[in-house]
Amino acid sequence: MDGNTVLELYRKMWVVRAFEQGLEREFKKGNVPGMLHTGLGQEAVQAAIANSLRKTDAFFPDHRAHGLLVLAGTPGEKIMAELFGKATGVCSGKGGSLHSADPSVGNFGDNAVEGSMMATALGVGLAYKMQKRDDLAAVIVGDGTAGRGEWHESLNLAATWKLPVLYCCVNNGYAISTAVGDSHATAELYEFACAYKMQSVQVDGNDVVEAARVTAEAVDWIRQGKGPFFIEYKTWRWQGIFSGEFRPAEEIRYWKEEHEPMKLARDYMVKNHIADDAVLEQIKAEVEAQVETWITFALESPPPDLSKATANVYVGWEVETR
Amino acid sequence: MKRMSFVQALNDALDIMMAEDERVFLLGEDIGHMGGDFGVTRGLFTKYGGERVRDTPLSEAAIIGTAVGAAMVGMRPVPEIMFADFLGTCYDQIVNNAAKMHYMFDGQFKAPIVIRTAAGGGFGGGPHHSQSVEGWFMNVPGLVIVGPSTPQDAKGMLIACIENDNPVLFLEHKALYRVRGDVDEGKFSVPLRKAHIAREGTDVTIVASMKMTHEALAAAEELAAENISVEVVDLRTLRPWDTQTVLESVAKTGRAIVANEAPKMGGLGSDVSATIAEECFSHLKAPVKRVCGLDTPIPFSVPLEKVILPNKDDIKKAVQDTLAH
Ligand SMILES: Cc1ncc(C[n+]2csc(CCOP(=O)(O)OP(=O)(O)O)c2C)c(N)n1
Ligand SMILES: [Mg+2]
Repeated sequence: MDGNTVLELYRKMWVVRAFEQGLEREFKKGNVPGMLHTGLGQEAVQAAIANSLRKTDAFFPDHRAHGLLVLAGTPGEKIMAELFGKATGVCSGKGGSLHSADPSVGNFGDNAVEGSMMATALGVGLAYKMQKRDDLAAVIVGDGTAGRGEWHESLNLAATWKLPVLYCCVNNGYAISTAVGDSHATAELYEFACAYKMQSVQVDGNDVVEAARVTAEAVDWIRQGKGPFFIEYKTWRWQGIFSGEFRPAEEIRYWKEEHEPMKLARDYMVKNHIADDAVLEQIKAEVEAQVETWITFALESPPPDLSKATANVYVGWEVETR
Repeated sequence: MKRMSFVQALNDALDIMMAEDERVFLLGEDIGHMGGDFGVTRGLFTKYGGERVRDTPLSEAAIIGTAVGAAMVGMRPVPEIMFADFLGTCYDQIVNNAAKMHYMFDGQFKAPIVIRTAAGGGFGGGPHHSQSVEGWFMNVPGLVIVGPSTPQDAKGMLIACIENDNPVLFLEHKALYRVRGDVDEGKFSVPLRKAHIAREGTDVTIVASMKMTHEALAAAEELAAENISVEVVDLRTLRPWDTQTVLESVAKTGRAIVANEAPKMGGLGSDVSATIAEECFSHLKAPVKRVCGLDTPIPFSVPLEKVILPNKDDIKKAVQDTLAH
């Protein structure tokens, strides 16, 4: 992979990392309402996906993909403000962390009923095919959703109808606290796709170079009209469960220190003389400073106008107010 | 004007919309060359092909999910769920996805789908092929529920629904499929959210829909012989329903019966009667009465089913009781 692409991926990863770290800090201060799921530890997956999609594609982000929403092209402050529930957010504060859609960049919004988007993505893929567009529908889902009926209905139909759907399965080992292998017939989730006779691959989701290469190939495959593609990204989330950590110390050390995505990318770039530490530090500093401006924007933004509470229930019809 | 069955009227509406608008497509189980379990899509597969009249496996969640996704990018899907009883398998897609999308994304997306489904009992279909499901969906903001009672309305409302930008649950009562009536030819639409005065009267108002409209009309006819003048309001759109027409009628007659095939508790009948009591109290000469299904599942055996489902005679008795109050 050429050096500039890797550097760009590295910058993207930092957007994810800095966004989530800033968000987590503000959440702990009480500035962000609701629940918080972060993409910390999964930066390479999000950078890889962002690297291959274009604005005319559709993507359904998962609950940890805040960074991806920004990488897709929505101004960072509008995503941040949405997560703060502010008027200036992409959905005027009505969607929040789990429903921050922006059609102008192909962001079709998360569905907090995890896994349901598997079915919705089929429709976008089918419509694009009927409309003779060469765009695709990507759906990003966690390992935990592999137990959903929609998950299997979707793989079956996308394969049967040869739809342009990219499945990005983020296997971080657990659904909240339950290990993937304890609750599914296989812990290697791409094997399900094999059973549906779908092209699939398992990749190290912390190795951004590999993840980006594999994603680009999958996207290429789909754009050639060859049907859907399933990628299983093996990764690990930093966030344990809401109340704290439950995973073994050695496992934590491995993923957060030894096999950590930023470190792997840095090692790769230094080894291949793509960039030195000074350049990489500068990227980090630039992104972090930018994220702070987004947080300031969100903090200073007004709450939504209260009329928004009853707006857009129906298209074209008003609902009764109190 | 042409005489045709409810099924033919629906078929005509689909044909007209598919011919006119490339974005309209159908998907569901056995709707292709077989033409659907009840024949509503008959002939359309031959005319429009398998891309636009798409057979699916028994994957109801995927059927609705596919429809919603396609609608998000400009298509006008008309999915069919063979029996309304199966809507439980795709409830989430309807309730949490289709109905909420416009709101939660603050207007950036819409989900104009029309879910056609065969509802209602009275033919020995048993517990899983007989239910009236509107109550399952009454509490879902963002969703439109439609239930016509005549071939003319079936055609005109299906066209209106396909042209509407909101997600619609379109209930087709199985007992009405073979009912025949005069239907306007060509394209026309019957407005949503507008109830129809199916019979004018002055003594008592019966608010009904779908098959119960016919039961109410039959009751009204018999009551006329007793010099009782009954007004029958056919709701047609069940959510959001036409409060104005209902309240005006009750204000005129001063008495109201609400007839609904579904179980009484928590259903459409409850909502209509509560609204009448709330908004029309000073006009009421007697308490509002509900004639609904009993609070049980629907049994298979036809004599037992008859115990459960309300009919003309139940409505008649309710009218007489109300007048005797
Ligand atoms: C259908 C559904 N069931 C349960 C939940 C509650 N829930 C939220 S996240 C989660 C675990 C999801 O695990 P996974 O898909 O592996 O994602 P991860 O959080 O590990 O990234 C659960 C059970 C939900 N949101 N939706
Ligand atoms: Mg997981």
